[in-house]
Amino acid sequence: MKNKVLIISLLTLLLGVFAGGVAKAQTEDELVEMCGMLAKGATYLKDFKIKLDAGDPPPEAKYSLVLTKDTKYRFAVVNSKDLPGKVVLQLFDNTRLLGTTYVIASGKDTPTFDLICQKTGVYHLKFYFKDGQSGLAVGTLSFVEKI
Amino acid sequence: MFKKLIYFVALTLVFGGCSSCGNKGVDADQEFANLDSAIEEEVVFDPSVVQEMAENVASPVEIAALIKSLKVPFSKDILAPTKNIDGLNTSFKRAIGFGVYGADLGYINMYSQNSMVLDYITGIKTLADGLKVGQFFDFTTLKRLATNKENIDSLMHISTQNFNKIDAHLKETNRSSLSCVIVAGVWIEGLYLSCQVASIIDSDKMNESIGEQKIAFSTLYKMLSLYKKDPNISELVEDMKELKTIYDEITISYEIGEPDMVEENGVITFKQNDKSNVNITDDQLKRIREAIIKVRNKQIGG
Repeated sequence: MKNKVLIISLLTLLLGVFAGGVAKAQTEDELVEMCGMLAKGATYLKDFKIKLDAGDPPPEAKYSLVLTKDTKYRFAVVNSKDLPGKVVLQLFDNTRLLGTTYVIASGKDTPTFDLICQKTGVYHLKFYFKDGQSGLAVGTLSFVEKI
Repeated sequence: MFKKLIYFVALTLVFGGCSSCGNKGVDADQEFANLDSAIEEEVVFDPSVVQEMAENVASPVEIAALIKSLKVPFSKDILAPTKNIDGLNTSFKRAIGFGVYGADLGYINMYSQNSMVLDYITGIKTLADGLKVGQFFDFTTLKRLATNKENIDSLMHISTQNFNKIDAHLKETNRSSLSCVIVAGVWIEGLYLSCQVASIIDSDKMNESIGEQKIAFSTLYKMLSLYKKDPNISELVEDMKELKTIYDEITISYEIGEPDMVEENGVITFKQNDKSNVNITDDQLKRIREAIIKVRNKQIGG
């Protein structure tokens, strides 16, 4: 009888372990693929994998990149469902905000935006999660066309 | 005995399961710690600087797109010959070659020259294996896409993604200098292709684009200079000094404008209204062309 109980416990444990394996977290590669789908019609160039802890003020991830004149780029972001944070991407030149996935004035979130770049130079990307929540997200930069 | 065995299996599962759940974050932190310490030993600077500077310095897709937008017909004669790949037999040469042939692959893909893709991805796979990053180069899928003439977008997407994964892996395994050399290879070939095209067509846009490479070159030159302790990189920096002299002469002026936001087909578009003017003379263009031919051919034995 004792052995039967042990075997049942072991089987339950095995099931638990494998079920946990099946309901696995979204991988960053899967998020990149989803970003690619959002940025449809554009050619993928770069991805930025963002994982930030909760914090006040909200922690940020920053990257610099070179963008080229007379080029239309598409930026896209996808949040992982495994963490609560909703990512915001902001694009800056040296001094000003040029584009964002969250327009504060309208309160509108948009998972993609395009930039018509008119000046070759170094630009800066800033990612953070709204309300300083912890989050996992991916942002992508894609090439749309030469203007 | 049987009971003991069951307990043992159960404990193994519990601890094995838990460790696999929790390890990812620990390993990632450990990797970053290793990376930081390794870089500190190599040169003294903020390790995030290299990572930041390296993003999108040279994009083969964009250079190829510019060439194609000028309606310049495809020319295989301007590409690096794959027969030279066997001669790239050190990590440095393989890394430079990886960048050069990667840029060529971007050009080939942009023109949908699928018949040439196989030759180039085979060569690039050889270089990737030599750099011990072949596992990130999805040769099988790329070969299938090329031979079946499947979606060219997928071919470009996967090859770019593979390059980015290799770049990330090199940085994570304390080989940032090689990642930097690959970026240099891409940039060198991009400028080489641009100069070859500029020599056969009269295009202000192309000439201006060559002049604007001053910005990417400045970033790249600084990046490479951080690794000057490596004799191969030091020699490359030395070889690039001529280009630096010419680019130092070129000036770019800017006019600042306010950006606009419009919604087109449901996509929000931000339009930058700044303007830049590149002052580059025919003589400077000629000298850049001569200098880049010298640098590029020395690296790939052309």
